[in-house]
Amino acid sequence: MKQDIHEYLAEFDDIPGTRVYTTKRARQGYWINQFAMSLMKEENRKAWLENEEKYLEGWPKLTPEQKQALLDRDYDKLLDLGGNIYFLAKVFSTDGKSYLQAVSTMTGMSVDEYRDMMLSGGRSPEGLRSKSKGY
Amino acid sequence: MAQITAGISSSHVPAIGAAVDLGKTEEDYWVPAFAGFDWTKEWIMKPENKPDVVILVYNDHASAFDMNLIPTFAIGCADEFQPADEGWGPRPVPTVKNHADLAWHIAQSCILDEFDMTIINKMDVDHGLTVPLSLMFGQPDAWPCKIIPLAVNVVTYPPPSGNRCYNLGRAIRDAVESFPEDLKVQVWGTGGMSHQLQGTRAGLINKEWDTAFLDDLTKDPERLRKMPHIEYLREAGSEGIELVMWLIMRGALGDKVKELHRHYHVAASNTALGHIVLEPVE
Ligand SMILES: [Fe+2]
Repeated sequence: MKQDIHEYLAEFDDIPGTRVYTTKRARQGYWINQFAMSLMKEENRKAWLENEEKYLEGWPKLTPEQKQALLDRDYDKLLDLGGNIYFLAKVFSTDGKSYLQAVSTMTGMSVDEYRDMMLSGGRSPEGLRSKSKGY
Repeated sequence: MAQITAGISSSHVPAIGAAVDLGKTEEDYWVPAFAGFDWTKEWIMKPENKPDVVILVYNDHASAFDMNLIPTFAIGCADEFQPADEGWGPRPVPTVKNHADLAWHIAQSCILDEFDMTIINKMDVDHGLTVPLSLMFGQPDAWPCKIIPLAVNVVTYPPPSGNRCYNLGRAIRDAVESFPEDLKVQVWGTGGMSHQLQGTRAGLINKEWDTAFLDDLTKDPERLRKMPHIEYLREAGSEGIELVMWLIMRGALGDKVKELHRHYHVAASNTALGHIVLEPVE
């Protein structure tokens, strides 16, 4: 049964603290994500780590804001600008960081606090399912 | 004729692959995560259970497919696939050897059955595919069976509906049962369970919801088929949507199944680790 596409997309905005990777975001973040893909090659990782600003010159379609967020490793911002976490994983993996380390930076918690939360059952969905309905 | 003999599902957390590759599985953090796979490791190598072929349903995490190509359902048809370099070098795991005759047969059969499969020859396979193999088979020199990669888009919205996935599973079953070679074929659905890898809601885990999902693979698959994407997102976190891939596995097993084994552990890295073994009931 086909769902109405407008209703389908509108519901995503009702989830607290979550950016669903829609085609709109995919278009906005195309160059962030393609940039990240380039780091799957060892020689590119080397060039990036050696001189990040210079490496970014090879990506003229990135906006200045997107470039800055990449330099800052500001993953929350990068998601706002159309990045996707699986693509951004190439960036933090190149830094030798794990998903847990990178993801924790978006939560306002330290890595250790976040890791402890995960070990004691994770974050409860209570109150975090819907902005409008508050459950 | 070929037959679907069992279905297995499991999370495919990348940190699990790293734990295996770096020899950390005996560390306190990892022991309870891996313990739930001991049963399966023994079960799957018994001659009566050992698959000749695994159809391994997984999602590519921006490894083989970048933003230039986003196939909803893609079936690997080449003779072999290498582990992908995801930013930290390829995992030191064996090459994935395909049963290309069966893969091409499934592709043709599903297309004729109105599932418009994308056919992939050249691709590397990432943790989505190799982590479940490590969990079920450990660290052998060669994987003990042939593997058909079946990649599903669950990254860019909309991914396929749960119902579509379930029905693809049924079409795969029909395809397998019309293949003339005597083969034991398993279908694996991977990914999930609840997890969110972004924003202030990162780290979300919903044990109650995950448990109901595991229960209903046996008790009420109709409920799971009808579940809209928004429910996965709200209840199981933004990356919990991977669970639609489990429904391809479930659809391939027929109407009735028996649960042989399950395992649930919080947390492996950011994720609720879930695992189940199901057998079709005639
Ligand atoms: Fe995944």
